Amino acid sequence: MTDKQKSDQQNSRKQGSGKQNPVLSPLEIVERAEAHPAAVPFLWLGSKKTQRNFIYIPLVGMIVFSILGFFYPVSKPAPWDFGFSYTVIGFVGYSFVVLSAWPLFRLLSRPENYYGEDDSVEEGEDA
Amino acid sequence: MQIMSLFPEWILSHGAASIVIIPLLLAVITAVNSSARLAWATVLGVTALCAFTALGLLLQVMSFGPIHYNMGGWAPPMGIGYYIDGLNAPLLLLISVVAFLCTLYALPSVVAEVEPKKHGPFYAAFLISLAGLLGMVATADAFNVFVFLEVSSISTYVLVAMGASRDRRALSSSFNYLIMGSIGATFFVIGIGFLYMQTGTLNMMDMARLLQEIGPGDRVVQLAFAFIAIGLGLKLAMFPLHMWLPGAYAYAPSFFTAFLAATATKAALYLLLRFTFTVFDPNWDYIAIAVMILLAGMGILGMVAASLQAIFQNDIRRVLAYSSVAQVGYMLLGVGMATTLGLTAGYLHMINHAIMKGALFLAVGAFWYRFGITQVSDMRGLGKTMPWTMAGFTIAGISLIGVPGTVGFVSKLILVEAAAENGWWWAIGVIVATSVLAIIYVGRMIEQAYFKPVPQINDRPVRRNEAPLAMLIPLWVLALASLAFGIQTEWLMNLAEAAAQVLSAGSNTVIPGGAYALPAPIGGH
Amino acid sequence: MLELFASFSPAFILIAAGVLAGFIPTSKSGSFISKVLMVGAPALALVCINVIYYGQTENTYLGGQLSFAGIELTTLRIDSLSIIWGYIFCFAGILNGIYGLHEKCKITDTSALIYTGAGVGAVFAGDLITLFMFWELLALSSVFIVWRGGPKSYPAGMRYLAMHILSGVLLLAGLVIYGRATGSYAFNNIGLDMPGGWLIFLAFGIKAGFPLLHNWIQDSYPRSSVTGTVILSVFTTKLAIYALARGFAGTEILIYIGAVMTVFPVFFAVLENDLRKVLSYSLNNQLGFMVVGIGIGSQLALNGVAAHMVSHILYKSLLFMSMGAVLHRVGTIKASELGGLFRSMPYTAVFCMIGAAAISAVPLFAGFVSKAMIITAVFENGHLVVYAMLLFASAGVLEHSGIKVPYFAFFAHDSGKRVKEAPWNMLTAMGITAFLCIYLAIPGTYGGMQYLYGLLPSEVAGAAKYNPYTDYHVIFQMQLIMAAVFAFALLKRIGFYPPERRAEILDFDWTYRRLGLSLLQWGNAMWSRLGAVIIYALRGMFGNISRRLYQVFSPAGALSYAAPSGIAAVLIAGMLAVTLFVVYFL
Repeated sequence: MTDKQKSDQQNSRKQGSGKQNPVLSPLEIVERAEAHPAAVPFLWLGSKKTQRNFIYIPLVGMIVFSILGFFYPVSKPAPWDFGFSYTVIGFVGYSFVVLSAWPLFRLLSRPENYYGEDDSVEEGEDA
Repeated sequence: MQIMSLFPEWILSHGAASIVIIPLLLAVITAVNSSARLAWATVLGVTALCAFTALGLLLQVMSFGPIHYNMGGWAPPMGIGYYIDGLNAPLLLLISVVAFLCTLYALPSVVAEVEPKKHGPFYAAFLISLAGLLGMVATADAFNVFVFLEVSSISTYVLVAMGASRDRRALSSSFNYLIMGSIGATFFVIGIGFLYMQTGTLNMMDMARLLQEIGPGDRVVQLAFAFIAIGLGLKLAMFPLHMWLPGAYAYAPSFFTAFLAATATKAALYLLLRFTFTVFDPNWDYIAIAVMILLAGMGILGMVAASLQAIFQNDIRRVLAYSSVAQVGYMLLGVGMATTLGLTAGYLHMINHAIMKGALFLAVGAFWYRFGITQVSDMRGLGKTMPWTMAGFTIAGISLIGVPGTVGFVSKLILVEAAAENGWWWAIGVIVATSVLAIIYVGRMIEQAYFKPVPQINDRPVRRNEAPLAMLIPLWVLALASLAFGIQTEWLMNLAEAAAQVLSAGSNTVIPGGAYALPAPIGGH
Repeated sequence: MLELFASFSPAFILIAAGVLAGFIPTSKSGSFISKVLMVGAPALALVCINVIYYGQTENTYLGGQLSFAGIELTTLRIDSLSIIWGYIFCFAGILNGIYGLHEKCKITDTSALIYTGAGVGAVFAGDLITLFMFWELLALSSVFIVWRGGPKSYPAGMRYLAMHILSGVLLLAGLVIYGRATGSYAFNNIGLDMPGGWLIFLAFGIKAGFPLLHNWIQDSYPRSSVTGTVILSVFTTKLAIYALARGFAGTEILIYIGAVMTVFPVFFAVLENDLRKVLSYSLNNQLGFMVVGIGIGSQLALNGVAAHMVSHILYKSLLFMSMGAVLHRVGTIKASELGGLFRSMPYTAVFCMIGAAAISAVPLFAGFVSKAMIITAVFENGHLVVYAMLLFASAGVLEHSGIKVPYFAFFAHDSGKRVKEAPWNMLTAMGITAFLCIYLAIPGTYGGMQYLYGLLPSEVAGAAKYNPYTDYHVIFQMQLIMAAVFAFALLKRIGFYPPERRAEILDFDWTYRRLGLSLLQWGNAMWSRLGAVIIYALRGMFGNISRRLYQVFSPAGALSYAAPSGIAAVLIAGMLAVTLFVVYFL
C-alpha cells in the first residue's frame, strides 16, 4: 500500500507541475519503488519518449551556435574556417568515427577468450 | 694514527707471517683434540685473531704503505719474503672475516652434517685450508704460492669429501675436484718452473725486474704465462674450466661451501691479477691481447652460459654455484678491460660477490639444517616458516641481481661505466641481459618462498622453525653488509681503487732491489 | 624531521608511510591506522613540498645532494615545472586514499603509497640516476596494484612489468651513454641529438604510451581492482609527460607522434565493450594532446601541457572512479551488460557526467581551459595538419568518453540491474574531484581558474594573458559539441550506431601476445628437436675421446659419475692450446 501512497503523492506532484500524466502503469510503480530516492524525480529520463525527443536539444543548440558563429567569427581563422566550420567538423568527425566502427569491428574482433585469458569472468567486490 | 695504537706491537711487525703461521700451528693441536666444542672454540679464536691481524695489516698498509716481511730475517731473493700491499691486504681481511663468520655458523651446522668423531680433524682441515688461502695471498715468493695453493687445495678436497655423511655424491665431486685441481696446480708449477728457468729467482718482485730485462720476445716466458694463466684460471673457475665447481659447492658441508664460495676463487683471482699485472707486464702485446681475449672473452661467455645453466638447475646450491661462475665472468670482464676503472670494477665485484654469495650459501645451509631442503621446488613457503633466514637470503639475492641500494648494484654500475669508457657497448648489453637472467634464477627461488603456500604435513601447514642464532647472526652480518656497503659505497670503492692503482702501476714501477711504488694511501680520503 | 626529508625528497614520507602500512597488522584498529596513512601521508608530503619551496626565495630549490659511487646526485629539485606535478600527484594521492577507504587490503595500501612516493620522487629528481631509481620503483610498486585484479590480471601484470623493466633498462643505458658523453647526469633538456638521447626518448615513450608502445595501458589498467585502476591511472603516464617536458621540449617529432596518439585510440575506444578499457584508450588519446604540446615547446604550449595534465588527472580519475563504483556495485563493467543505472546510482551518474563534460571540454569544465591552450599553440606554430587532427580527435573524445561511457552505463536501455548507490567514501572522493573539475574552470575573482593558471611553469608570456573565455572560442567549442551530440542522437535513431558486443578487439599487442608467442612456441619446439639431434651427434663424436681419457684419469671401476673429469681435462688442454695460440701468434 505504501507504494500506492507514494505513487499517489508523486502523481499529485506531477500534476502540479502541469504535466498530463495522471495514471502510472504498474511497471512505473515498480520502477519508482526500486529507484534511489534521489533519482525518483528524474525517472522520466529513462522513458522512451525522452529518448526519442532528446535529439531536438542538440539540434536546436547546433543551429543556434552555428548562427552565432557568423556574428562572432574566429579571430585567427584557419584556411578552412567559416561561420559554422566547427559544426561541420564535429558532425563529420563524429559520424566518421562511429561509422568506421562497423568495418573495424569485422576486421578486429575475436572471441573473448582469444588470448586464452578469459576476461568474461568478472569479480566485483559485491557481486 | 690514533687507531694504530689499538694493535699490539707484534701485529704490526710480524703480522704478515703470523696470520699464516698461527692457523697452521693450531691446526695440529686441533687435529688431535678429542672435544668437538674445544676444537670449535680454538678455530673461532684463531679466525678472530686472524681477522684482527688482517685489520691491523690493512690499516698499516693504508697509512704507511706496503709491508715487506722477510721470513726468519733472510732477505729475498735468498729467503722467503712476504709482501702486503693495497692489492692483497683487503683480501686477507675478507678471507679471515668470512672464516670467522663461517666458524660461528659451523657450531650447529657441523654437528648436523659431520660424523661426531671426525670433528677434530674436520676443524683442523679447515684451519689448514684457511692458512693455505692466507698464505697464497700474503706471500711474495712464487714457489711458496704453489705450496700454499696445494696446502689449501688438498685440505679442501678432504673437506668436500666430508660432506659424504650428508650426501654420498660428495665423494665423486671431491674426486673430480681433486683431478682438476691437481691439473691446475701442476700447470701452475710448470709455469713457475719455466719462469725460474729464465730468471733464476722465485721472488716475484725480483722476477718482475728480471723479466723486464729479458723483454717481451722470450718464448719460454710466453709459455710460462700460458701455463700460469690456465692453471690459475682453473682454480678460479674461469669458464669453461669451472666444471669442478658445481659439484664441490653442492655437496660440501654447508658452512664450508659458504667459505669456499666466498674465498677460494677470490684468492686464485688475486694470484692471476698479481702475476698478470705485476710480474708480467700488461703492456707487452701478448699479455694485453691474452688479457682481452682470454679474460674478457671467457668472462663474457661465462656470464651468459653459466647464467643460463643456473636457470635450469633444480638444486639450490647448484643454481648458486653456476651463478658464481657467472659472477666470476663479471670480475674477469672488468679485469679484461685492463683500465683502472675496469680493474676497480673487477676487484670491487670480487669483494662484493664474496659478501653476497657467502650470505646466500649460509642461508641455504640453514634451510637444509631445519628442513633438509636442497631443491628449489622445496622452498615453498619458506618466507613463512623461516622468515628471518629467508629475509637474509632475499637481501643477498636482490644484491646478486644488482638492485640499487645493494653492493651488487654498485659494482655492476662501475662495470658498466668501465665498459662505456672503453666503448664496449656490447658488453653493457651482455651485463644487462645477464642481470635479467639473474632476476630469473633468483626470482624463481624468492617466488617459491613467498608466493607459494606453506607445505602441509598431515593436513596441517608446517610450523615456523627459525634457524638457530649461531646461523642467523653470520648470515645477517653479511646480508646487512651487502646493504650497508651498497649505500655507503666509498669505503669499498677506496679499497678497490687502491688495488686497481697497484695493478695499473704494473711492473714498470718496480724499482731495482725489489721495492714497489707506494699505492695512494687510502686512509687519507 | 622536515629538514631530513627536505634534504632528500618529500617522496620518502610517502615511501616510509607505505613501508609502515605494510607492517601494520590487519586488525580493525590496524586498518584504521593504515587508512589514516593513506590519506595523511600525501597530505603531509603536500605540506612538506610547500614549506620547502616557499620557505626560500630562489626560483629553483636544489637539495639532497649526495655523492654515490663518485657521481654527484641531486635528489630534490623543486622548480616552476616540477612543483605543479608534485602538487597534483600528492593531491591525487589523497583522493585515491579517500576513494579506497572501504577497502581492507594491505597490498594495495602499501604499494599505492610507495607508488605515489615513487611518482613524487621521480618528478622532483634533479638527476638522471635518481630519476632511474624512482622510475624502477614506480614500475615495481605498481605491478602489485595491477595484480590486485585477481588471477586474470596476472599475465597482464607480467606484460606490464616486462614493458616497464624494458623502459628502465633503456633509460639506464641511455643515461650512462649520455652521462659519459656530457660528463653530467643532471636531468635537464636532453634532446635527440645527444648520445643516448634516443634511448632515453624511447624509455620515456614507453611510459607515455607512444603509438605501438601503448598496449600496456589498455592491457593492464582495466584488469586491476576497483581502486587499483584509479590509482594506476594517475602517476605512471603523467610522470612520463613530465620527463618528456623536461628532457625533450620542442622536439619536433613529438608533434607527429602526439598527433597520431590522439587519433588512433579514438577508433579502438568506439569498438571496445569494457568501459574501463574505453577509458584507458581515452587516457592514451589525452596523453597525445600533451605530447603534441611538448613537441611544440613554446611557453604557451608547455603551460597548456601542465594545465591539461592537472585537469586530465582530475577528470580521468573522476571517470575511472565512477566506473569503479559501477564495477564495485554491479560486478561487471561491460557496456553490453549495463544500462539504466542512473535509477540506482544517481550521484555517481552526475559525477560521471561532470567528468565526461570536463574531458569533452565543455565551457566551464576543466578540459576547456587547458586543452585550448595546446590547440592554440599548435595553430600559432603553423602546424595546420596536426591542428586538424587535434580537432578531429576532440570530436572523437566526445564519442568515447563524453557520450559512450555515461550513456551506456547510466542510460541506454534499462538493464534491469538495481543496486545500491556507491559507498560514502567513493562519493566523497568523486564529489571533491567533480567540484574541482568545475571550480578550476570558473574564471573571475571567485573562480579557481586563476589558481590553476597561477601555478603554470612560465608566468611571463602565455598563461597570465591567455584567456579561454573569448566569445568565439566558447561558441565554436559549443558548435563542435552540439554537432557531435546531434550526430550521436541521429545515428542512434536511424540505427547506424553500432551495438555493444562482447569481443576481444585486436590491437598492436597481437604481435607479441599472439604472433610472438606462436613464433616462440614454434621456435621452442624446433629447438628442442634440434637440441636432441645435436646432443646425439656430439655424444657420438666426443664419446670415444672422453671414454679413453676417462680410462686414463680414473682408476679402474671408479664411479661413472666422475666422467666429466675426463671431458674437463680435454677442455683444459684445449684452453692451454688456445692460450698458447693467442700468446704466440696474435
